[in-house]
Amino acid sequence: MDKEVAIIGYAQTPYEADAEASREMQVLEVTKAALAAAGLKREQLDTVITANNDYLDGRTISNMRLVEPSGAWQKNESKVEMDGAYAALYALMRILSGDHGIAMVVGESQASVYGGYIPGTMMLDPTFDRQRGLLNEVSASALQARAYMNACGVSEEQLAGVAAKNLANAAKNPLALRADGKADVKKVLSSRLLYSPIRELMASPLCDGACAVVLASGKVAAKSGNPVWIKGVGFSHDSYLSERSLAEMSSLKDAARRCYAMAGIEDPASQLDLAEVHECFAHEELMAYEALGLCAAGEGGAFFDSGTTSMDGSLPVNASGGALAANVACAAGLARIIEAAMQIRGEAGDHQVKGVRTAVAHGQTGICAQENIIYVLGGE
Amino acid sequence: MAPNEGQSRVPRASIPFNPVFGWSVGNWMEQFFDGMKEGKILASRCPACGRVYLPPRMICERCFAKAEEWVELPETGTVETFTEAHVKLAPNGTFEDIDGPEIIAMVKHDGADTCIAARLEGGGVSVGMRVKAVLDPSAENVLDLLAGYRAAE
Amino acid sequence: MAKSEVAVAGVGLSKHVSKRRDVNIAELVWEAVSACYENAGLKPKDIDAFITGNMPAFEGVNLPEEWGAGHWGAYGKPLLRITTGGTTGGSVAHGGYYAVASGLYDTVLAIAFEKQSDGNSTAGLNTVAIADAAAQFALGVDPAFLAAFGGGAVGVAVYQASSYMKSSGCTTQHLDKVAALCRNNAALNPYSHLKQPGLTPEEVAKTVLLQHPIRFGHVCPATDGACAMLFTTGEKARRLVDKPAYVLSVASCSDEAAMVGIAGSGTTNVDPCTQESCKIAAARAYELAGIKDPRKEIDLAEPYAPFAHQMLMFYERLLLCDEGEAPAILDSGSMNLDGELPVCPSGGVISTNAIGASAMERVAECAQQIMGRCGERQVKKEVHKAVAHGWGGAVNLNVVAVLSDTPRR
Repeated sequence: MDKEVAIIGYAQTPYEADAEASREMQVLEVTKAALAAAGLKREQLDTVITANNDYLDGRTISNMRLVEPSGAWQKNESKVEMDGAYAALYALMRILSGDHGIAMVVGESQASVYGGYIPGTMMLDPTFDRQRGLLNEVSASALQARAYMNACGVSEEQLAGVAAKNLANAAKNPLALRADGKADVKKVLSSRLLYSPIRELMASPLCDGACAVVLASGKVAAKSGNPVWIKGVGFSHDSYLSERSLAEMSSLKDAARRCYAMAGIEDPASQLDLAEVHECFAHEELMAYEALGLCAAGEGGAFFDSGTTSMDGSLPVNASGGALAANVACAAGLARIIEAAMQIRGEAGDHQVKGVRTAVAHGQTGICAQENIIYVLGGE
Repeated sequence: MAPNEGQSRVPRASIPFNPVFGWSVGNWMEQFFDGMKEGKILASRCPACGRVYLPPRMICERCFAKAEEWVELPETGTVETFTEAHVKLAPNGTFEDIDGPEIIAMVKHDGADTCIAARLEGGGVSVGMRVKAVLDPSAENVLDLLAGYRAAE
Repeated sequence: MAKSEVAVAGVGLSKHVSKRRDVNIAELVWEAVSACYENAGLKPKDIDAFITGNMPAFEGVNLPEEWGAGHWGAYGKPLLRITTGGTTGGSVAHGGYYAVASGLYDTVLAIAFEKQSDGNSTAGLNTVAIADAAAQFALGVDPAFLAAFGGGAVGVAVYQASSYMKSSGCTTQHLDKVAALCRNNAALNPYSHLKQPGLTPEEVAKTVLLQHPIRFGHVCPATDGACAMLFTTGEKARRLVDKPAYVLSVASCSDEAAMVGIAGSGTTNVDPCTQESCKIAAARAYELAGIKDPRKEIDLAEPYAPFAHQMLMFYERLLLCDEGEAPAILDSGSMNLDGELPVCPSGGVISTNAIGASAMERVAECAQQIMGRCGERQVKKEVHKAVAHGWGGAVNLNVVAVLSDTPRR
């Protein structure tokens, strides 16, 4: 894709354990800020796509009360019940169709409102796993972590290293919820053990927040100040967790293949300057290195050890702190897109990486990263 | 005015709401449970590609054929992956500590291509460990017919 | 203007009945999906992307495609979930249109479904009201009062019906007539739920009065069912089928959300019969489709009408006549299968309501009427252009699609 659709504005709330504002107020805040950043008025929006989930909202048709705060009043609005990165995809489709020129994309949820890890268990096979009560997002991911570690020779120290890197990066991101400039392997390994090998600091914190992105057609974007172009997108769906190999992220690999083909990326490790990965658990970042082709299959641990993905490496991953610093369901993937766009624009402040021209952003939905989507973004 | 100035804390109300659901399990799972009652482990096999589903599925996801061949699998299998649970999920959605770790394993039965997540009884576990199903044909709830696994002798 | 011409090249429906205890959710949906593949002459390997949706409160399953999509041929494929309540099926169909129109995906399978028998429907719908109830508790409204007045869709519909009848001159006899027309059409549709051949308005008038003016005979059943539609480029559709149905345009409009109200009325801050957003969506869809005078150019309409009055109300809001004219048009016989502008030839939502699928089934019926595949219920006139509609949310969401036998020029 060449200069067809661009990000022309974005905004995020701070990510909080228990936000003072209601979800509607958080959405209003980011929608207004994203419009202002894009230099647009609400009236100029053609379409609005929100990402939210009925079970996270605690009532059905979770989009219907977001009509006003998302700027969708009497506009062409729809909802994607996945991560906000998928809402961005739907908005992208709408713009590419030629029927719409400017789209508002919103992702939001409030963990302080929904029942923690309960909605996740509702994704399990209702005819069997769900009723047996053993699996949830964390225990299932622990099974995945072990499968991956066993297949690829990854250690608990390496998982802890990923968490420590991201929490330290987050210390420079004012919006992050969980941040610790002094985080190290020892600290992560002494945090509460949930389901081995997953400890509290290797699991992303559920939290409250919202973020918004304004997408525009090439014609509109060319006139805006500093567009970040969508160069490619790919997404894919994997089998249910007990019917696939948990040791690899095959749907992310497939999504990356589709996305890179569109963006003309042949050698991701050298062509990409930065990656923002939606890692709900530390091991997922290592698995993503492999699936995204940043390193060879099975080399995720060694690639991490090489330091390539740290802030001062040649391909920093999760300079923002990633989802380990804040994981708002339905928003965390969209936030990765925003963080990547910020880096390309040079607007990332204290966590800015120098010279980012091309970046990859990843979002996921489902247990054990069952569904994955990635974007390649680039500046002028 | 600053964005949140003048806003008092949002009032919250918790509404107890527990709708009842009764999921149809479908004929494939019904046969699986009926088999368990007789101490048999029944899996469905895809006639097109031979993939064996346990728990059984009606449709083979790989080739979209009806997995309508039934095969009885042995009680033995292999641990594909596992976790030691130090917590359990409480009804409020947070994790509560439990006494001593409980092992949850993904087991692939001999002859199956998919896994079952279940408790592993007795201590000691590793990936690749050989295990045997613990069936309880007298269990009142069909979901408890497969009580779990233990190390194979 | 869309990059690609978009057409429907196949439609599949499951059996639609009140309780399908013999299949689980994934298996029920498979029936519609496999019928669609067969109908279009395709296999899962030919599909570039899947769009799916339902209204999950009814089944109590979050993201059911996570364990179910393997039954639909989606293994290793891009899959997007779109859910918008009552309009879900229409929104999923719109997703199918945009996926192809974007030029990103050539062939897209759109799937919408509901298996209401796995849960308690009214409980599902009452969750619409629950967050509003929270606000009212905070204001000191007695929960017993809320419980006594009930909520759910019937609560909203009675207020809407009364308001519509007052403004349009629609009488209870018109409601009876609508129900009879739809149920007779449904009797000719093998995929409908309530089939009542020969049902007369007089018989409808004798059914139990639920809440004035709505009688039992004016209300949709709760259905288990699924619908799948194959969207592809015009070029590919012409290779697949003799007579594809082209999607000329889609548009949705979301209005101010009504507070569901102390009596489930939906009237606290909007009149639920106004449906301004339906008019806006219809006008936009006609504009995109190049339709200047929908009254003359539209040959068939499938409004989303789970309650009898809504067939007439939405006929008006879809700009097919002036406001208040629909009851007389019904009396003229124009809405019958052999009429000038047949309405709900499928039997409509009042005969079959698998909620998440319903708004897609409106689009599917328009496509099949254009394709000439409707058997006994095929309308007498030739269908060149048809309009499909969906409605939902807190009486505030409307989706509209225009289909045609010729591509958009």
